[in-house]
Amino acid sequence: MAKFYVIGLSAMTLFAVGVANAQQKVNVTGQIKDSQGTPLSGVTIREKGGTLSTSTNGSGTYSLSVSPNATLVISYVGYQNQEIALNGRNVVNVTMDGTSSVIDEVVVVGYGKQKKEKLLGSVSTIDAKQIENRPVTNVSTALSGVAAGVQVKQSTGRPGADGATIRVRGIGTMNNAEALVVIDGIVGTMDAVNPNDIETISVLKDASSASIYGTRAANGVILITTKKGKANQKTQLAYSGILSKTKPMGTPEFVSDYVRHMELMNEGTFNLGKPAKYAESSIEQWQKANADPNGVLAPSGLPNYIAYPNTDWTDWIYNSSWLQSHNISATGGSESTNYMISGRILDNPGIMKNTGAKKYELRTNLSTKIGDRLTIGTNTFASTEDRKKANVDNLYNFLRQSTPGVYPMYDGKFGGAVAAEESVQLNNLMQYLYEPQGMDKVSNFNSTIFANVKIIKGLTFETKFNYLTRFREQTGSSIPVDKYNFATGAIVFPAGVAANLTLSQSYENLRTLTFDNVLRYETTRGKHNIGALLGHNEFQTKWYIFSASKRGVIDPTISNISTANEMNSIDGNEYETSMRSFFGRVNYDFDGKYLVEFNLRRDASSKFGKDKQVGYFPSVGLGWLLSKESFMKGLEPYVQNVKLRGSWGKLGNDRNNGDPNSENYFPALAFYGNVGYSYGGAQVSGLERSKFGNRLLAWEESENKEVGLEFSTFKSKAYIEVNYYNKLTSGILVPEQLPLTTGNTSAPIVNSAAMRNSGIELNLTWKDKIGEVSYNIGGNFAYNKSRVTKLKGQLLRGWNDLNGTNTYSTNIGQVSNAVGTNQRNLEGHLYREFYVRERYKGDGSYYSNDGLVNPNGGPRDGMIRTEADYKWAEDMKTAGYSFSPVNTLGKEQLYYGDFLYADLNGDKIYGNENDLDFTGTSDIPKYIYGFNLGFSYKGFDLQMLWSGEGKLQYYWNDEGYSNNIVRDGNGISKRVADDHYFYDPANPSDFRTNITGSYARLKYNGETINNVANNYYLYDADFIKLRNLQIGYTFNNKLTERLHVRNLRVYFSGENLLMFTKFPGADPEIGAGAKYPTMKQYAFGLNFGF
Amino acid sequence: MKKILTIGVRRLYMHYKQYNKCLGHISMLAIVLGTMGSCKKDLLDITSNTQVPEDKMWTTDNYTDLGVNGVYQALRFGYATGGTNNRELYQYDRLSNTLIPRGGDPLLNATANTSSGIFADVWKELYESVHRANDAIYGISNISPSAPEKKARLLAEVKFLRAFYYYRLNQLYKGVPLYDAPTNYNEATKPRNTEKEVWDFIIKDLSDCIGETNLPTKFPAGSKEFGRITKSAAYALRGKVYMYLQDWDKAIADFQAVKDAGHQLFPDYKTLFTAVNEKSDEMIFSIQNIALDNYGSTMQFYFGSRSAFGSNWDSYLVSPDFVDLYENKDGSKFNWDDIIPGYNAMAPAKREIYFIRDNVQQVAQANNKPAKYTDLVDPKRGLDFGLYLQNGNEARLKKAFENRDPRLSANVILPYSTFVGMNGTSDQTFTSRWPHIEQLNNVFDLRTDIESQYFYLPRKFVYEGGKPPIPSRVAGDIDYPVIRYADVLLLWAEALNEKGQTGLAIDKVNEVRARAKVGLLNSSAATTVSDKSDLTSRIRNERRREFFGEGVIYFDELRWKSWKDQVFGGNAGNKQPWGAIVDKYTYLGDQLYTWPIPELERQRNTSLTQNTGW
Repeated sequence: MAKFYVIGLSAMTLFAVGVANAQQKVNVTGQIKDSQGTPLSGVTIREKGGTLSTSTNGSGTYSLSVSPNATLVISYVGYQNQEIALNGRNVVNVTMDGTSSVIDEVVVVGYGKQKKEKLLGSVSTIDAKQIENRPVTNVSTALSGVAAGVQVKQSTGRPGADGATIRVRGIGTMNNAEALVVIDGIVGTMDAVNPNDIETISVLKDASSASIYGTRAANGVILITTKKGKANQKTQLAYSGILSKTKPMGTPEFVSDYVRHMELMNEGTFNLGKPAKYAESSIEQWQKANADPNGVLAPSGLPNYIAYPNTDWTDWIYNSSWLQSHNISATGGSESTNYMISGRILDNPGIMKNTGAKKYELRTNLSTKIGDRLTIGTNTFASTEDRKKANVDNLYNFLRQSTPGVYPMYDGKFGGAVAAEESVQLNNLMQYLYEPQGMDKVSNFNSTIFANVKIIKGLTFETKFNYLTRFREQTGSSIPVDKYNFATGAIVFPAGVAANLTLSQSYENLRTLTFDNVLRYETTRGKHNIGALLGHNEFQTKWYIFSASKRGVIDPTISNISTANEMNSIDGNEYETSMRSFFGRVNYDFDGKYLVEFNLRRDASSKFGKDKQVGYFPSVGLGWLLSKESFMKGLEPYVQNVKLRGSWGKLGNDRNNGDPNSENYFPALAFYGNVGYSYGGAQVSGLERSKFGNRLLAWEESENKEVGLEFSTFKSKAYIEVNYYNKLTSGILVPEQLPLTTGNTSAPIVNSAAMRNSGIELNLTWKDKIGEVSYNIGGNFAYNKSRVTKLKGQLLRGWNDLNGTNTYSTNIGQVSNAVGTNQRNLEGHLYREFYVRERYKGDGSYYSNDGLVNPNGGPRDGMIRTEADYKWAEDMKTAGYSFSPVNTLGKEQLYYGDFLYADLNGDKIYGNENDLDFTGTSDIPKYIYGFNLGFSYKGFDLQMLWSGEGKLQYYWNDEGYSNNIVRDGNGISKRVADDHYFYDPANPSDFRTNITGSYARLKYNGETINNVANNYYLYDADFIKLRNLQIGYTFNNKLTERLHVRNLRVYFSGENLLMFTKFPGADPEIGAGAKYPTMKQYAFGLNFGF
Repeated sequence: MKKILTIGVRRLYMHYKQYNKCLGHISMLAIVLGTMGSCKKDLLDITSNTQVPEDKMWTTDNYTDLGVNGVYQALRFGYATGGTNNRELYQYDRLSNTLIPRGGDPLLNATANTSSGIFADVWKELYESVHRANDAIYGISNISPSAPEKKARLLAEVKFLRAFYYYRLNQLYKGVPLYDAPTNYNEATKPRNTEKEVWDFIIKDLSDCIGETNLPTKFPAGSKEFGRITKSAAYALRGKVYMYLQDWDKAIADFQAVKDAGHQLFPDYKTLFTAVNEKSDEMIFSIQNIALDNYGSTMQFYFGSRSAFGSNWDSYLVSPDFVDLYENKDGSKFNWDDIIPGYNAMAPAKREIYFIRDNVQQVAQANNKPAKYTDLVDPKRGLDFGLYLQNGNEARLKKAFENRDPRLSANVILPYSTFVGMNGTSDQTFTSRWPHIEQLNNVFDLRTDIESQYFYLPRKFVYEGGKPPIPSRVAGDIDYPVIRYADVLLLWAEALNEKGQTGLAIDKVNEVRARAKVGLLNSSAATTVSDKSDLTSRIRNERRREFFGEGVIYFDELRWKSWKDQVFGGNAGNKQPWGAIVDKYTYLGDQLYTWPIPELERQRNTSLTQNTGW
């Protein structure tokens, strides 16, 4: 499929230094095509042993000046290199062999490139083709499923905030476990790269590949290289555009029939013996109206469907829209200068009103040679993004707090409560979309200038200076709206008055200066290949924010802060951090057969105590290319390119949880923070010890071990890579767990915990042709086991004789800390393992043979469902057992349709704190996988990418979505409405009776029995998604030449088209709760070049 | 480092020169780059610009002042702007039978256990306060360069605060670990002291305060120092501690000292709780509030209704038992049967009929709210409309509240009384009516957060009008009275009564009653004190009526061991004015008289023993 791409992928020309040669030259020309006769552009042609190179233009032709007896080396990514001796010719036409082995690729690694064949570390490479032509809004989301061991999780689909979290080989620390992102050699962020600019992405996963980034690399490194122009390349202009229809991926469902809603609510009050929430008259009113939706019963004269609404909010808050992306680029080069200039406009209106983002991105990559030895240039990127201001957080907060009894909008007016029982405050979700106004602009400017000097043969010096700034400007105001009762036509809730409205403005800036110097040396002495590198890097980052707000506006539409009349607040914050590093690398191989590499990095971070700032991070990698051994020759027909490799090394981390946060930026120090009071009516400042310090705080270390085996088989059509790794992170920077008696002072950060991630990764690729159909299949799979190996000691719990009384005690609070939702960390357990009560499981026998109540004879599934169950519970109480959290039996207390919990510790109290236990599960997947398929036939191509996660659970107990509480002003989830328990012993034939219901009986305005932490709410959240499906057609250049257009391709590209999961919530990728959904997209694209 | 780099760059420069002379300006660039990012010596030496490093603290007079202010600020613990957390001192009244917590409470619903959040949160906050005081005592004594007189005064102030924080710990948990010096984070694992040891520790701190010559006795209103600790506050608090120890003589002596310091009752009960009078001679120790977010009060937010400024939350409602406790103006007991014969004998739910507004059907229909009416006449509700007076229902009910102790209407929004609330930014008079029908369009029913039910609502501390002088509902400027002279007088009376000095005790009670403008004790047959135990009960009721919403009475009930009877006696629960229960209270057991040591803390400090019954 490579032939379709406008801009070919080839090695960077950054380091190529031409030597002016006075020797006699001949000019050789030719055309390069693929096996199907399509000209290939961007193919690199160079003279073997020489330094001059060129690449083919759009029509596949080239011209190069070489010595008369030269041998040409022709290389193109994805194809086998060819060497062709001139033998006196000056026209050389070449047909490239369709498939090549992966092993010939050149891989970008930290501070350099390496032939895949000689790579000692574990590096996943992603070439541009895998992420091109996808309507993704952010590079990060495109990485899902493309590399083994790389977990990509998008937690919200909100435009501008839709970047995914990337985890390499599990979660390596209890701290910030984000992978480091390096763009063209400089640390950056993934949302500040135009996906169209990317040439390759390398994910460095093991110590030997990553340790050149030392302390910042413990959680993996993602190297992004952007496209560059090539010397002597005719300018190529290219356009690529996408128009994509977007829809929400998964949305929650609520009861929208208001009559049913009212009845369920009344069921909730009935169950507790309280007066009905809704009067019969209100229910009848709706029944009457529903019988004739278009009729008019209301005094307002509006039709019934508006006056007496049955609103399905999820129909109203989402609207599918069109996303557009237009990218234009120019690439080219002369003898001495090359460039790549690109620009993109991305307009993502989002799938909810007033939530879109518009982004503009520009890039200039330029380099020029001055004389023979010096190259200077720049990589400069600038972007700005305008985000719309709808209050999505509030909307999702209130999504469940909305009833079907409010009509969203009619004739530009917003609906309010109609039924007499409803509070006039009832939410209208449209408010959160329409009211907030103002600006939210995020801009990036990232510029590197570099100089590269060839000092003597094999020795180069490169220096880079980078200035990176990211700022966010915001203003906030709102245009409040009146809420109408559409039945009476009156305003039920008036808009906020101007005098109480506030205007705000803030400015946030992050700036980093980086200085980076590298000296490289490479030489070959006979069969000895030696490389060495010496480097220095330092950077300084400063962040600050300034914000102000005023109250009392002239008019809601006048929104500049100067116009408000009352001072409200002025606030600010800042932090600063810096690091200085020296590093070196030596790599050596003998005859390309035995490979060895050493890295050492010394880092000093401003975050630690004076004596602890410095850390040393060594690594070593070893490799053996077995297939080059003579004893392997016999196996050559079966396996090819066999490589065995291993590495060991230490990496570090100085990032804390909650970074960036001013306090966490100085984790070693103790501070007093500001608190205020007043005397005699006058405000005074005060100070209190805000944080304990720890001057002994040092680096978090992760020791990585890895072995890998790579080989090709089936005549290099198949490539297989298997890795085993074992990563032990120790001295994890965690806040000490303090007794409550210590007070509110933030705990000191200590190097206490340790965790181990170990696992296996498997990578398979297959490329072949059947007749004219080329196809490829790739798959990756990673299994990761994550354990907390050290925290605060062993869990000791059990019964002890204390002064003659048998007493139960546990040190769980001392040795373990609570995290997430009903999760805990404990030595020897999974990271973030769930810790909940178990539902009671009885055998249903109720009584033992002697007629006594049998504690193990209760209801089978832990819910009081039948009269026998209830009687058993009563008898249990009489026999001295008790139930927690509510022990009293009765309608308002523990009753039919309530959960019972197991008595784990045998204290005869069923379901108290001591009955919580670890489940062996967590919300982190044990395995992740992805696979892709591609076919091409003549001009047609098709590709598919799937990815998924397995063996993870979510604790999902969200009122309004997934539990039995019905509350004033809240909606009721369809799932709960359809499947909950109901039984009234006074009237067993009640039409609502459902003694097999799964959810507990409905309860009005809150309860604890069924909503304490318990395993009912743990759900498997495994999923697999069809990330991308692309079908395209590329027109033959001969046909399009008349239009002066080349490489014309039209395609359909669908994102997230399918999802398979057992998880009942909206979308397991974004987590258990309801959030701005990710997008399902149907995109149409067009690419062409001039 | 800089040197090495410069040399490196120079060498490179020499290389360029050798090869190409045109390169001069390029190598200049390299030098510039080198200099810009070069190894400046202090690159790694960074500290916070938003906080004060530990080693600077207490080293100047300014830091000394700021550190002491931090100890005072701990008085504000529990302050929350997003919803009540039940930890501010006044919010403890929900646990007495004066306020009703709208959403119920684990201590009242029998769902409290050793892991309940409130026990851990209060413990943590109070110990935070103690540590701030300990840190200040150490810093002032050992580091601060302030003048000796000032240091002596500040030490006394901080000791009072430490005593106050321990006082609160000992009131609830009884017998807590004593820390009297700065404690490192890994040292907070002491076992418990006895209740008596803690009281003694408190008395010692307070006695130190009282003995400190540099500590002023009392600040006059208008003093810039008002709100700082005085000797009279120390006397008052020590007197309160002696009440716990039942050391009546010492308590009486301390209360006398408070009086001698010049404290007296403010003449008017209602206006005492306003910003104008918050610094009168009645106030002995108050938490300072000013009209600024994070420096003001939240009382009006959690007490106020939707019709009040800032659209408040009615988090706390008023118990009908408490309303009924207010006597008639002449001091005689209030009896519903005097107003509505047969009322007491009726089932509470049926009494609702007397609370319904005049012309309810017409008003409901005129405002398109027939459902409110139809709901009332629903036979399932069982109301007897034969008892309803179309045009006189309100007037009949209002009689019940007309001739009462004036503190009742000062403290509570009663049915068919008015409240000047907010309509946009202008004043609007609302009337509390049942059922609520409309708060706009010339009807102006007082709107609550719970319209389907009707309650007595707090009036005390709630700002009136459309634009009170406060920026938000959580920034009230009225100081919160922790100890005021009426408290001292009634405790004094209690101590005298315990000693059998009934007459003297009655005089003290009458001081309070006189100010309230309610019939004095022994002024009529109904007010005649029969014996010591009669007076005990009268004093207790006086305290309940007087300190509504001031965070006093729950602790009294615990001290008197009367909490169970008061709160759970009879038909206990979250009640509407006619006595119908919305949520029933359930008594968990006598262990509730002492709060449990938080489960979490016992897991982290295994030397802590648990209180009996938990």
